[in-house]
Amino acid sequence: MMKAGSVAIAVALCATLAGTAAGQTLDARRLGMGGVLTSDVGDHTGSNIAFRAVPKGTGGSGSIPLPLGLIQYLSDHPSFDSKDSTFNVYEIANVFLNPPLTIQLSKPSEVSGDISVYVAQDSLMVDLADVKRVIPEHSFKQGGVYHIGGIGKSFGRMFIQVSPLIHLRNELTLSDKLRDALKDAVPFTSNTRYGLTDEGRAQAAVSFQAGYAFRALHKASASESNSNDPRRNGSTALYLGGAPKYLLGIAYGDVHSIAGVTTGDTLFASGNPVTIDMDTQTRNALAGGDGGTGTGFGSDVGAVLYFQNFELGVGLNDFGSQIKWNTTVRRHVYDDVTNSFTTTVIARDEKFTSRIPVTTTVNVAKRIGRTTLAADVVKGDLRTSMHAGAEFWFGMIALRSGIYRDQNKMMQFAGGGGYRFGKLGLDLAIATNSRNIERERGAELSASLSLY
Amino acid sequence: MRRLIPIALFLPLLVGCGNRNLILTVDILSFMDPSTRVVNYGPIPSGFPVDTVEVFSDSLNLLQGVGDVTRVASASLDIAASFDNTTGAGTGDVLIYFAAADSATPFTTTAIADVPFQLLAGQVTNVSTHIDASPALAEVLTHDRAKVGLRLIFNGTSFPIQGTETLTKLTATVVMKKDL
Repeated sequence: MMKAGSVAIAVALCATLAGTAAGQTLDARRLGMGGVLTSDVGDHTGSNIAFRAVPKGTGGSGSIPLPLGLIQYLSDHPSFDSKDSTFNVYEIANVFLNPPLTIQLSKPSEVSGDISVYVAQDSLMVDLADVKRVIPEHSFKQGGVYHIGGIGKSFGRMFIQVSPLIHLRNELTLSDKLRDALKDAVPFTSNTRYGLTDEGRAQAAVSFQAGYAFRALHKASASESNSNDPRRNGSTALYLGGAPKYLLGIAYGDVHSIAGVTTGDTLFASGNPVTIDMDTQTRNALAGGDGGTGTGFGSDVGAVLYFQNFELGVGLNDFGSQIKWNTTVRRHVYDDVTNSFTTTVIARDEKFTSRIPVTTTVNVAKRIGRTTLAADVVKGDLRTSMHAGAEFWFGMIALRSGIYRDQNKMMQFAGGGGYRFGKLGLDLAIATNSRNIERERGAELSASLSLY
Repeated sequence: MRRLIPIALFLPLLVGCGNRNLILTVDILSFMDPSTRVVNYGPIPSGFPVDTVEVFSDSLNLLQGVGDVTRVASASLDIAASFDNTTGAGTGDVLIYFAAADSATPFTTTAIADVPFQLLAGQVTNVSTHIDASPALAEVLTHDRAKVGLRLIFNGTSFPIQGTETLTKLTATVVMKKDL
């Protein structure tokens, strides 16, 4: 049991070290175009509510992922047995960071190598060797806003939807001294504080949403009689959408923690050579527990303009979304003398309003014949990503390419192709990514079916 | 040194994060009282062809917690000493002992290192050796405390033997594997 716990802690630690984990794009068509988003490629309704009102075009209306990576995973997966000589917690963490739904064509070399520790009475040096790759230059950030599943129904231009909403955010920052000691093997020195701060937040709610998306402006083109697709018929059209939402808060918790170890005059002297400090403040509310449920409101709004086959879309998800809670605030302070924690309730039923970070998506696209050129910028709570891609159709065959700047601020490359069989298409894409604990480039092959 | 360096407790976890060893090198000499590193021996008069000097017996505080999640794969020891022999001549042995912290004296155990030396009048003699794969050393170094002792045995051929012995290196290296 102890060992299982140790493994769990190690996996969690490694996952924390990983920093950011971006969602996989399982739509091979979108992935082949560098993950770019348009009104007919990728997430059709999730990122811009106005896309709902745009007529279905020739560019497709959805995709069905083919998780071929599972076959690869079943034939070759990391050992979960800590007694196995090949057991590597980093490999396991990578399974969670990069679910094996796509075929891994190449992946970073696994974190390996020996860790060296040199100890003398007044000297401590830790050389993490290969593990240094895992420690980022700045803070460890992870999290995001997740709209998971849900059920909904459309009534013409209107729709209603109920869906869970989860917001997670954690930022762990090492002090410069601690980072230098771990990342650069700088020796620990006397009379020095090695500290870290952690800022974490998690909240969960159920979203009850009703929305309306419509065409607000329209100027017909000459070719509109042949096609009602504003992406390609040259018309001018503005579509707007808005979806207010009522948020029923289920749980909220945040933590602000400062901790550190201060060395004494001699690192390994007799008595207590180090002083430990830790001061943590927590705030929480829970349905059925402290503070009960929270209530709040928010909205998704969006607009998309078409002009001479040019598309400009702006979508704001969780715009102005807030939840009011009755929270309990506690402070936990570590006493170095008694080697114990003291917990003090600072406030009960304190009013607190949490915010759901807005996700902004701006996309542009230009259709020239059967060619699509597109780019987008997605700004979320922790990171901003950018994608650009192109799709060229030759008869029933499509060729795609793209680039994107990922969550680790690395440029990634993508390419792929597809074949259309009537209302169905088969798409393949090869793309690089850095969804791994080492934050290094790997490559994957994705497959999916497109619905036209 | 009840809590020693808590950071050190973090290390075994990192050892678990991958297929690797934790190589722990401990400069034992630095933990010893400086006065115990140097000992004046003699004068050993004639009539005592074999004499024994117990240089020191000391307790060491080691890295606690490391042993909880790791197992020792191997342990080795590097030792060096310098003899500034002013008078007399002979041969001898430097014996190093390690024992559990609750032992009354480390000298009741079997020496884990035996370093022979030869002394000549008015000469400085440096000796060193490397002891590999010592199970006894591995055992004590994975506990948070241990006792260490140093003993000199002189086999005199010219008397009186007198001089100064200085322990210049005592470094233990323990290779540990994860044991999560």
